[in-house]
Amino acid sequence: MMGWIDQNEFLIGSTLTVFLLAISIQIPLRLGVISFASIGYYAIGGYGTAILMTQYDVSTWTSVVVASVAAAVVATLLGLIISRLNGLYLAMATVSFSLLLSAIAVNGGSVTGGAVGLFGVIGDITIWHTAGIAVVIIFLVSFTERGKLSRRIDATREDSQLASAMGINVTAYRRLSFPISGLIGGLAGALAVNLKTAINPESVNFTLVVLALTIIIIGGQASWIGALAGSLFFVWLPEILVFVGEWEEVVYGTLVVFAAVLVPGGVVGVFNDWRHRRSVARERPKVALLEAAAGESDAELTQSRSGKDG
Amino acid sequence: MVQDLLNATTLASIYVLFALGMSLVWGTIGILNFAHGSIFMFSAFIAYLVVQQIPLGMPAVIAIAMVSGALIAVAMQYLVFQPIMKKAKNPHAGELQLVIGGIGLSAIPISFAQRSTLSNPFGFSAGTFETQAYTIGGVIITNVMIIILIVGLGLGVGTALWIRNSKKGLALRALGVDPEVSAMMGIDRPKLALATMLYSGALAGLAGALLTYYFNSITSESGDTLLLKAFAIIILGGVGSIFGVILGSFILAFAEFAVLLYTNGSWVTAVSFGLLFLILLIRPQGILGKKEVRRT
Repeated sequence: MMGWIDQNEFLIGSTLTVFLLAISIQIPLRLGVISFASIGYYAIGGYGTAILMTQYDVSTWTSVVVASVAAAVVATLLGLIISRLNGLYLAMATVSFSLLLSAIAVNGGSVTGGAVGLFGVIGDITIWHTAGIAVVIIFLVSFTERGKLSRRIDATREDSQLASAMGINVTAYRRLSFPISGLIGGLAGALAVNLKTAINPESVNFTLVVLALTIIIIGGQASWIGALAGSLFFVWLPEILVFVGEWEEVVYGTLVVFAAVLVPGGVVGVFNDWRHRRSVARERPKVALLEAAAGESDAELTQSRSGKDG
Repeated sequence: MVQDLLNATTLASIYVLFALGMSLVWGTIGILNFAHGSIFMFSAFIAYLVVQQIPLGMPAVIAIAMVSGALIAVAMQYLVFQPIMKKAKNPHAGELQLVIGGIGLSAIPISFAQRSTLSNPFGFSAGTFETQAYTIGGVIITNVMIIILIVGLGLGVGTALWIRNSKKGLALRALGVDPEVSAMMGIDRPKLALATMLYSGALAGLAGALLTYYFNSITSESGDTLLLKAFAIIILGGVGSIFGVILGSFILAFAEFAVLLYTNGSWVTAVSFGLLFLILLIRPQGILGKKEVRRT
């Protein structure tokens, strides 16, 4: 087991950082906000860590924390600036935010290393640290997927007007999703740059947006399990099937199209639907009995009423 | 100076051709087609494959690109966008599925083209068309530029007038405002949607062929770059406004040329994102757009 982990350390690390990035996109998405800004947060986290570590000799963990918090701060500001927008307009604004950042990375001169990027980022983060962080995030995210809070989040996404009529502060929820998404996205970038020891503008462009979105769509939008399933699938499939590695984009593109047309809820959504149907099937006889009983008492009631009348 | 203005105007005309179809589709049938850039690239690519076998002139190459673009767009509409819209519980949920479907679709032709060209640029140099340059008063203009200017501005203004004045144009605009009520008024939405996608795909193919003639070659990734620029153009002018597309194209092309003149070239890509972000902050409905009124 330990040997296997050592052998596949890079793949496991990639799975975890991609998973964190997917969570960062998923959090606003669950509130009905289509935001591509997570790529920008990822870039801030990654570049921030790389700049602090290679140019200012800051210790690994301080760099990671500072860069992630910086991403969260930028995310908060972005959330305030674009709070007027919604739907596709917001999606566009966040795409342009992310791509502006990658243009800055290209033109940043010696600070960002231009088109070549920064390399030689060697810190002391092991696979266990990354796994630990992922578990903590899963633990925190799972709180938002149960009970009252989960229902409020679902209501905000499905019908924001109805949700605010029910007394849910939709704006506050949506605004709050930005710093959280920013922190997790920044963390994903910071951990990824430590894993890969390098970062360049190519690695934070539109392709990454597409990959992260694809992961969520294949896995499922509603739960962290979906994001994890998607990340596992996307990082490991090209390793296991060489054919998939060769035709990676075609396979992914086709899968995404199929998912969008046929199973909007993703793999996890299909599983949940199946579980829901099964429980309905199990409950149906009981419901039928109850209904029959209710029907009888109704009949008695009308009889006794008509008896009184007559 | 005059030369720069002329070059910028030619670029703007290409932008008009590319963004026109996208804006039309988004503003009327409500599909933000992320695969528009790959239709553009792949129809030029198909024309390139044909030209490699048979040396053809410009009209034939353009016709091949336009027909390919139209067919690809119709196939996408029929196989992907229409089923998604039919299934969507509410317009908002459908919106995201459409974006995702488009992103997935765009990956397929791009990677096919990348694999068969090994990511090298491709062009119509095997065809019979020859670029000719004329010098008028110190300004160089090529025959390709003349064609682009006439076709781009002509189709842009023509489409805008058609949408504004014809009965079908009225039907399309009505679809953009309220699909349900317009369906009650007897507008056949699926049929019009298919026709709009066909037109938009043909325009993308036309833009692909003309841009390839203009720059001599394009790459598999050219479509993605233009797609992001088209977002900026459409939002600048206002979604659904065809004159807005023309205006947005000119603003973007001239801004890019200005940046190119006064800085080094690497900031040019940032112009469109910067403009897009700015206009969304200041006037989200665009320069010529009307504020959306929603009653629920």
